Amino acid sequence: MTEKPNSKPIILLICFYLILPILMTFIYSICMEWRDILPHGLTFRYYIEIFTDMEFLIAIVRTIIISVVPVVICTVTVLLAMYVILLYLPGLDKYMQILTMIPYSIQGVILSIGVLSLYANAPMPLSNRFVMLTGTYCIIILPYIYRGIKNCMTTINAKNLIESAQILGASKAYAFFSIIIPNILSGIKVSLMLSMAIIFGDFVVVNIIGGNYYQTVQIYLYRALFRSGQLSSAIIVVLFLITMALSAGVYAYKKPHHDQEEI
Amino acid sequence: MATIELKNINHFYGKNHVLKNLDLVIEAGSFVTLLGPSGCGKSTLLRVLSGLETISDGQIILGGQDITHKDPKDRDIGMIFQQYSLFPNMTVLENIRYGLKLKKMKPEIIDEKARNAIQMVELTGKEHHYPAQLSGGQQQRVAIARSIVTKPKVLLLDEPLSAIDAKLRRSLQARIREIHNEMKITSVFVTHDQNEAMIMSDVIHLFNNGKIEQSGKPFDIYTAPSTYFAAEFMGNYNIIPGQVFSTISGEDYPDGQKIAIRPETVEISSEPHAFRNEAYQFTGIIKEHTLRGNILSYTIKANGLTLKADVLFRSFKLFDDHTTVNLLIEKRNCLKI
Repeated sequence: MTEKPNSKPIILLICFYLILPILMTFIYSICMEWRDILPHGLTFRYYIEIFTDMEFLIAIVRTIIISVVPVVICTVTVLLAMYVILLYLPGLDKYMQILTMIPYSIQGVILSIGVLSLYANAPMPLSNRFVMLTGTYCIIILPYIYRGIKNCMTTINAKNLIESAQILGASKAYAFFSIIIPNILSGIKVSLMLSMAIIFGDFVVVNIIGGNYYQTVQIYLYRALFRSGQLSSAIIVVLFLITMALSAGVYAYKKPHHDQEEI
Repeated sequence: MATIELKNINHFYGKNHVLKNLDLVIEAGSFVTLLGPSGCGKSTLLRVLSGLETISDGQIILGGQDITHKDPKDRDIGMIFQQYSLFPNMTVLENIRYGLKLKKMKPEIIDEKARNAIQMVELTGKEHHYPAQLSGGQQQRVAIARSIVTKPKVLLLDEPLSAIDAKLRRSLQARIREIHNEMKITSVFVTHDQNEAMIMSDVIHLFNNGKIEQSGKPFDIYTAPSTYFAAEFMGNYNIIPGQVFSTISGEDYPDGQKIAIRPETVEISSEPHAFRNEAYQFTGIIKEHTLRGNILSYTIKANGLTLKADVLFRSFKLFDDHTTVNLLIEKRNCLKI
């Protein structure tokens, strides 16, 4: 009988490797100075500084808003499109696939400069920076949202499930919302997380389109880099914790059937 | 239970004419099988009946009502799919309750009916299991319970047992038949397995290329295939061109005439058979033999033709390959097709 290899040390090593950069960043953010091998002094003054700075707190709120709004708009739009494609116009699926591939080929700089030159002088609300940012992010995250939902629908064989619900007396719409949505929720959550993480960490698009008009935490961080290394490290640690809290929030809702063991 | 009448049904997938001028009457309370090879249109007919496909032309009457343009949800037809199609996010009980809830029944009645259905398919104790926690056979039984719990006028079964292993398949065949006998729901079963069709059906409609090739009771279809296709599909028949068979029978046959002989009607003996006026007797050489469980199949060369002969494997007394044997086929078992 072969012995089961002990995988714990390898997992711990990988965890340590992954956590090391953020750990070092945290240590750097709480030290007075670090000029030798070991850091000297302990202080939370950088954390106090950023949390007492109203501009930082507003930037965080702005970042969360701009990370959530496009994701929600894009998810709802893609879900409705998938509903129509699945039940009424399956022939359009190939066009949807082509459409969702296009954002991959457009770099963030090109996209944001294009959006800016096209809409900067457009009438309100199109020229509003928040609207422009939301629209641009919707395009950027479209492939991730679409793929996540599409893969889930393929896995659960959505068409068959809808047909069987119809036979049992459900309308197409009721079948979609009572059967398909609950079953693709895990895929939607992964897409949401991925998309929010992309927007949360974006600097290029928000700097070009938002700039001074819509200052997110990434722009705040960029400016802090010129002031102090410890200050920017403290911001990075805070951002990491916020991202982790958001991820935990998304995954907190877990249905019992996800724990089931397949036989 | 209700009678189904299909009148001049035509259905196209693009340019592909899948169902061709189909007329069919399915008696109320009967268990009917649509049998045929893959792609012959039998599953399409089931989808047309359920309303999942809209027919290009024709009329569907169910219990005297025209349901041709009705939505699936308004047809009062149950359907069991090959892939079970259970809702993965719901337990066994929730799956079975789903159709009843849509009928807006009282919760206590829903609960009672659901539990009765679970008992009927022998899944008591599995009420709170999710589909992924069940075996294929158990999942299919949930699908059966979910379909019959609403007591539909018609039950459609689209190759429901094809993904299940042979032993379990036999027990589910018997269970489905028992449930049908109990509930008397008009049932339309689709399969490409002729044995399954013969075990389960009151009537078989043999499908080929979008048309019904032959209809009848299993015994009639098996013993008296009316066409070349029916003979080939139903009984693993020996199909011999008339002119080749005339070397044995001594009779003349018109051009294109074929003779169909069931392998189990070919009698083999090492000794010459007693003369019988109503039988053809000749000799042949065993080319090979195959043991198929309780059946021993011989391939025999005789007078320039190759014959298959099946005998019940009752003893170890086999005919060796390359042995000359005496053959007898009763004339009534040589069907002209």
